[in-house]
Amino acid sequence: MTDANALNQASCPRVVVLSLASDFGCQIQITNFPELLAMVGTIDLSYWQLATSADMPDSYDVAVIEGAVTLDEHVRLLQQVRKTAGVVIAIGACAVTGGVPGLVGTGDLDTARDLVYGEDATIVKQHRLVPAPVSSVIEVDYRVPGCPIDPAEFSALLQQALLGARERLDRTPLCAACQTIENPCFWLRGKACLGLVTRTGCGALCLSRDRACTGCRGIAADANLESARRYLREGGFDVKAFDKALEVYNTYEVNEVARS
Amino acid sequence: MFFKIIDKESIVDLYAGLAAEYDEVTGPKTSPKDPRYVKFGKIRDASQLRLDYKTSIVPPKKYFLAADERLMRYDRTTGEVYDTEPPLQTRALIGVHPCDINAILMLDDIFLNEFEDPYYKVYRENTFIVGVSCMPSPTCTCNSFGADEVHRGFDLFLSDLGDRWFVSVRSVKAAAIVDRYLDAREVTADDTRAFQERTKRFKKALPKRMDLDQLPLLYDAKYDYPLWEDIGKDCLSCGACSVVCPCCYCFDVRDTLSADGRVGKRHRVWDSCLASEFAEVAHNHNFRPKAADRVRYRFYHKFVGNFTRNGKMLCVGCGRCTTACKAFIDPQRIVKALESEDTPASAGTRKGGGAQ
Ligand code: SF4
Ligand code: SF4
Ligand code: SF4
Ligand code: SF4
Repeated sequence: MTDANALNQASCPRVVVLSLASDFGCQIQITNFPELLAMVGTIDLSYWQLATSADMPDSYDVAVIEGAVTLDEHVRLLQQVRKTAGVVIAIGACAVTGGVPGLVGTGDLDTARDLVYGEDATIVKQHRLVPAPVSSVIEVDYRVPGCPIDPAEFSALLQQALLGARERLDRTPLCAACQTIENPCFWLRGKACLGLVTRTGCGALCLSRDRACTGCRGIAADANLESARRYLREGGFDVKAFDKALEVYNTYEVNEVARS
Repeated sequence: MFFKIIDKESIVDLYAGLAAEYDEVTGPKTSPKDPRYVKFGKIRDASQLRLDYKTSIVPPKKYFLAADERLMRYDRTTGEVYDTEPPLQTRALIGVHPCDINAILMLDDIFLNEFEDPYYKVYRENTFIVGVSCMPSPTCTCNSFGADEVHRGFDLFLSDLGDRWFVSVRSVKAAAIVDRYLDAREVTADDTRAFQERTKRFKKALPKRMDLDQLPLLYDAKYDYPLWEDIGKDCLSCGACSVVCPCCYCFDVRDTLSADGRVGKRHRVWDSCLASEFAEVAHNHNFRPKAADRVRYRFYHKFVGNFTRNGKMLCVGCGRCTTACKAFIDPQRIVKALESEDTPASAGTRKGGGAQ
């Protein structure tokens, strides 16, 4: 759990940023954010995997984790992190939903491995796991969804974490935000959009550029997939294609639902 | 109120006059994303105005209750509070349909009545409203709510008589605009006849789709009926209906800090009672945990809560939610369900719905 008091007392919380399986895109996003410099005074960036070759320190207050869990080594690392850090923050689609790496879970792990690594597959044979979000291994205090993350959202969340505020992750789908910016709904224009089941909070970013939502923030906690499919069916849309599109960022969750 | 006639082309003069008198002129214009849609926006040239539009995605309420309104800024290190006033900008809003003007009157009743909202008040007082007549679309149900006609709440109203406008001049400000900028002539018996014919054509084109007699009573009587579960299970909890509704006005107040946490702003943003967070309070208790509770609540507020308070239903039948909702939930479906033969699952005790 969040140890907010301990954080408040630490005048300069020590933050580490580390990666599991990802393309480092979210860490790069953070560096793209000039305002982060303003924060450096309020935090002590003890370790940043992307920007340093030093080893991770033994003790720290906040762990920021990017990437999906794909190795048993990741599991051990996360358990260690959870013991050490007062606050754990998962950033990016990979860490929050399993993200794009999670797509491997649509089929059989061995087949996927052989397909990607060919003859070298034996090297990676052991230790591979079906890609999963960080929260499937350890308790996560805060999440910043998105592919990539919005640096402003990340810094705002870091602020909240430092103040000991409760996580405030949106539960509803995107349509309200999309209608607020007065985007003519894609479905009404005969085109697919995943916004009707995707977690809001990006300010309908893609929609504002007249692109349909691809679901990078994950399936909303309050999403009603059954009703969404019914809308598609009645409108003569391809429900299978919709389900397939959902897998890009949400395979782990889709599989979880199927298992339960 | 008095009446005048102007040529169709005189809209250019009206625009020029308003542009000279007001900081900003807004009106219905083509969506840059798809020409089939219209949204209200800044008008830079009279030719941008689409006065024959069917409906806009978001109603003009956005000019009185902004989607994201800054309430104040503050400095956490000094405790100083500043920027507490809304921007003082005058605006002319051209092309508001009768349903949407009626909706603004509903909002007046909420924001200028018992608890006066200083932000709403400033925007309202500094906005010159030009109404415009319309022809009904298949989604319109304004006549069921008595919102197809409007007699106040605007400065100027333009009724389309084909080659000319029948102009209703409601305010002193409007009289000055007509006097100064428009080449207006007196109304003849012919014009009045044309006006009456227009009204008849409108009525013919819009059959009454709902019968609201006894609706509040029926709602209360069927408050615990299974129909709510039936409708509610379809809801996507997306909140799009509240965004596009000219009579929905709920908001959330938020604090947003700068990256270094030193300064921040408090702002209010549109909210929706269809979001599960809406009725959540301390210790994660939620007064309306299920979508069915929330759908029932939304329409209870509209059809019963507000009605028992001031005799008006919080719906003007604009049809925007009918278009926006992917779960096929709208006033017509609610009214139909309430009228249908339905029996309570069990003779349970009433759970409090709560009028607002
Ligand atoms: S489905 Fe997509 S385009 Fe349609 S309202 Fe929702 S977010 Fe917007
Ligand atoms: S619109 Fe969808 S895909 Fe685009 S940033 Fe938002 S959640 Fe991600
Ligand atoms: S409830 Fe629907 S029809 Fe009624 S005013 Fe609101 S958006 Fe328009
Ligand atoms: S009633 Fe329709 S528009 Fe409103 S929240 Fe439910 S699904 Fe969305």
